[in-house]
Amino acid sequence: MRGLYLAIVRNKDHLLFALSLILSTFLLLNNDNPRMGVIRGKTSEIVAFISSPMTWVKSLMFLEEENQLLREKNLALSLQIESMLNLHRENEQLLSMLDFKRQTKLYLKPARVVNKGIQPNLLSIVIDAGQEDGIERNQPVLTSKGVVGKTIETGASASIVQLITDVNYRLSVRILPSGATGILRWLGDGKGQIREVQKNVDINIGDKVITSGFSDIYPAELPVGEVAGVYDERGSFQKVVNINLPNDMSAFQYVFVIIEDSYEMD
Amino acid sequence: MKWTDLLIPGFFIWLVQLLLADFLAVETIRPDFLVILVLYWAVKYGRTVGTVAGFFIGLTIDLSGTASFFGLSPLIYSITGYLGGYLMGTYSRLNPIHFSAAWVAILALQFMIFCVVQYQDIWVSNPQLFLGKWFGTTLYTLCFAGILQVIYPLHKMN
Repeated sequence: MRGLYLAIVRNKDHLLFALSLILSTFLLLNNDNPRMGVIRGKTSEIVAFISSPMTWVKSLMFLEEENQLLREKNLALSLQIESMLNLHRENEQLLSMLDFKRQTKLYLKPARVVNKGIQPNLLSIVIDAGQEDGIERNQPVLTSKGVVGKTIETGASASIVQLITDVNYRLSVRILPSGATGILRWLGDGKGQIREVQKNVDINIGDKVITSGFSDIYPAELPVGEVAGVYDERGSFQKVVNINLPNDMSAFQYVFVIIEDSYEMD
Repeated sequence: MKWTDLLIPGFFIWLVQLLLADFLAVETIRPDFLVILVLYWAVKYGRTVGTVAGFFIGLTIDLSGTASFFGLSPLIYSITGYLGGYLMGTYSRLNPIHFSAAWVAILALQFMIFCVVQYQDIWVSNPQLFLGKWFGTTLYTLCFAGILQVIYPLHKMN
């Protein structure tokens, strides 16, 4: 017994290393454990609280530049709204002629990015909205340019968002105008790659990419990006499509969470 | 060694990483000050402290916001702490170049494991981009470790 004790003491560094490897592997294999989610939700609130003064300083630094951009965008959007109102009226008339019964409505919750994680690569962000604001797990997160990710853990007043840059992130998308569908994954350097696209569809550079609506998380027709390149895979019945993602992942400060996607029946 | 010797600098560097890493980011790559801290601790206090400190710092990093692979940071930081501990008291026996090469290799290994897990898709589909990610992350942190060598060299911990 004494020999065993001495052996443990003598090799405690190796044993501790083995223990830490086992514990880390255990954590890695239990990523989806709900109890882990509760702990992560709570810590996201602490991180959001500590980061808030720095976020405030940062938003002050960019205030003037942002104001200028918003003024320009406001003007452009006002002009756009005018033409869209006309189109909306025309669309309503056509829908009533076709007796179209389904309408989609999205409820957006704005949130501020309070922290971008502390890993050496940007893979997740913490936002200052949580369960108190109606946010739950697995809700889409986007900016005005397009989809950036989804919520994965929520605390009372903060949530962790998995970004499109995470290796485990997948998104079912549709390419317009061809209507081809595929699965998007992040490729690196502001680009994404769509796989499982049928080979016989016609896809061109500059085609729009939107969400397909097949997913339980993402409603259809959210903007995702623009086609940057189309490749035929040898010995496969599928095409590979590279797309440009419109969001600069290192720059955005505000996001919107889609908290409800309701389907109203007339 | 008092527990405050680890807790106070650990909390301070965590705060620096949390609040300042984003200001120093180049695109999506940020410096990792915490791995430098784990390395310094491992060289000063040895394998046991290095491994345990690495594990808890990794856990704190993952709790501070990670999307997937919760548990990866404790894994890689404990490896860094454990390997770094082998450098304790070796500066006088090793050639300075070998000593420096050893800690650079430990940091490179840590980032390699991180990138292999995190960018496994890219590793298969685009090895060049994968290497870019690995070298980018490693070199950026090494730059800060290099600056720190001028102010407070690692071998002084020995």
